[in-house]
Amino acid sequence: MVIHYLKRAYSSFAAHVFDIPPRLLALLLFMLLIFLPITKPDDYIQRMFRDIFFFATLAASWDLLVGRTGQISLGHALFFGIGAYGTALLYKYFGFPPWVTIPIAVLIGVSISPLIGSPCLRAKGPYLALVTMVLPLILNTLFKYSPLLPITGGERGIGPLPPLIPVEFFRTIGFSGRKAYPMVDLANYYLGLVLLCASSIILYKIANSKTGMVFVSILDDDLASKACGINVTRYKLIAFAISSLFAALTGATYAHVITIVNPSGFLDITLSFLPVILTFLGGIGTLYGPLVGAHIYFIIHRYVLQTTHIPYLTGTQWTFTRDLIFAAVVIILIIKWPRGIARFVTDKLQDLEEARDLDERGKWIWKKYKKEKTK
Amino acid sequence: MIESILIDGAIAGGIYSLLALGFTLIYGVSGVINLAHSGFFMIGALLFATSGAFLLPVLEPLGVIPTFILILALILAAISVATIGGIVYKLIISPIIGDDVAIMVVTVSLALIFQQIMLLALDAAKLTYIPVAPFIRGATWGVRNESLLAFGVSVTLFISLWIFITKSKIGGAMRAVSQDREVAMLMGINTERLYMLTMGISAAFATVAGVFYASSVLVGQAPPHMWLQPLFSSFAIVILGGLGSIKGTLIGGFIIAYTETLVAYLIPQGGQIVPAVSLVIIMLIILIRPKGLFGKRIEME
Repeated sequence: MVIHYLKRAYSSFAAHVFDIPPRLLALLLFMLLIFLPITKPDDYIQRMFRDIFFFATLAASWDLLVGRTGQISLGHALFFGIGAYGTALLYKYFGFPPWVTIPIAVLIGVSISPLIGSPCLRAKGPYLALVTMVLPLILNTLFKYSPLLPITGGERGIGPLPPLIPVEFFRTIGFSGRKAYPMVDLANYYLGLVLLCASSIILYKIANSKTGMVFVSILDDDLASKACGINVTRYKLIAFAISSLFAALTGATYAHVITIVNPSGFLDITLSFLPVILTFLGGIGTLYGPLVGAHIYFIIHRYVLQTTHIPYLTGTQWTFTRDLIFAAVVIILIIKWPRGIARFVTDKLQDLEEARDLDERGKWIWKKYKKEKTK
Repeated sequence: MIESILIDGAIAGGIYSLLALGFTLIYGVSGVINLAHSGFFMIGALLFATSGAFLLPVLEPLGVIPTFILILALILAAISVATIGGIVYKLIISPIIGDDVAIMVVTVSLALIFQQIMLLALDAAKLTYIPVAPFIRGATWGVRNESLLAFGVSVTLFISLWIFITKSKIGGAMRAVSQDREVAMLMGINTERLYMLTMGISAAFATVAGVFYASSVLVGQAPPHMWLQPLFSSFAIVILGGLGSIKGTLIGGFIIAYTETLVAYLIPQGGQIVPAVSLVIIMLIILIRPKGLFGKRIEME
């Protein structure tokens, strides 16, 4: 009985994954990421990949809102920050463990989203982009305001927060003394991977459901979808809420990974632009693009540029030059491939496939022609 | 205290409206939201300081008055930043024109490049800010002459640009393109060249605003992060006045500057929440009256 179901599950899995090259590629990447810390226990690379997981999730949630629904938001740091500050303040005042504070913080983020979304969505295009960009910066300034320091902690932030899986847990398993600390990092790595996979699958399912089709119709033509009897405002708010849910979840979890919540780490303008850059690098509106973009961004920015050393430049000068080079790379990539690298590659693959099909058909017609001639 | 609020607000208002005018001009003509606009503002101050430092020891022994040398440096900086603006338009913005988000990402990256250049220059000179020399020293009626000059210059430039747009032939072309791009192209206007020109003009005006902002509001200092706050102030001005409206920019500039000054003087520790003022104003305007005070495009005036 059980074996029968397992067989059916396997055959359906094989039909859905093995036959489609991009999915097979995704599966291979996933396997690689699972075994990465075991084969290469380099702390720095492990942390880099952990950050890739979290920011790819953030970027994917941004992509659902902007790439699929067309509501240009440049303030995704708001929900990220609300999630992080929510869990940090709950821990500070009530002392709840992370597994209680994270869901409450996510709930706060989602319940705030219609309050912010309904007035914001009256604005369109550039106005919407500007107003959403402004919101996290207001919070950023307020949290640094000195009369509020006892609550928010100012630039030094709130912390240290407890890690998601406490050290004591690893001690009870049998990692004694100092050996328990790397295990916390390892746990964070796998939690990030789980978060990324779960939210990507959920976002993908939402984007391909009926609701997702309505989102795309709003992106294509706001007015026409209204004329078809779709409650456009409601669906925009739904998109806003889904997007803010994943952003707040990422923020709240990442707060416990970093263990210190401060304005420059969670509400900065660079953080609002990070998902935008990641999505643009990968390909907007694809949902797998942000994942590709996150890998490109972090590997170039945190690994390639970090490990190369240029003579004649001091350390700080190289830091500034590195950021300069990276900004230039972003500009060049966006101008060169405005639809994203992932899309560029898939388009090329599709072209090749079509060319091959045409070629085979051509051969077939040629054979037929020759046969007829020989008769 | 009332006098200082009035004077500080007026000076900041003049400079802000000059800065926001370039922003609204390029939006009104080509529809580009140029987040690197205050990057031009910052790089202009940097170029002014370096060219001033280069020219002063050369020309002062020849008997030229330092004020004239600084004016020469300002003109040089404005021309070079205008050239940079034109090149930036041609190379970076022109290929992706029409895609709002891509333009925003690209222009923010550009502003970051400017910031990194500024940081590199500061690191090479071992400073934390770039000193900007004042045009005139001393004070009249208890106000620094520098600030009075900044107010005078920014208001004069604002009005002359307004006259340029409403009266001259190129200004007419700008208004025509902002009304209807296709028809303007059919009438023989080279829109691409016009956009480049507009970008150059707005970059040059940003340079003047930046130099006077550094020399009067920031009292002779140009720190590498000076682009961020004026960027949001100019957003607030442009949204308050209506995107693409010139009259609205002038009035909005003074409203924002006075509000910021009032907050800085009246609220305890107000200096820390000054950046939030323009942001809150943006929020309120978009929620209450999304078109702004004078929600019209350039052509209507």
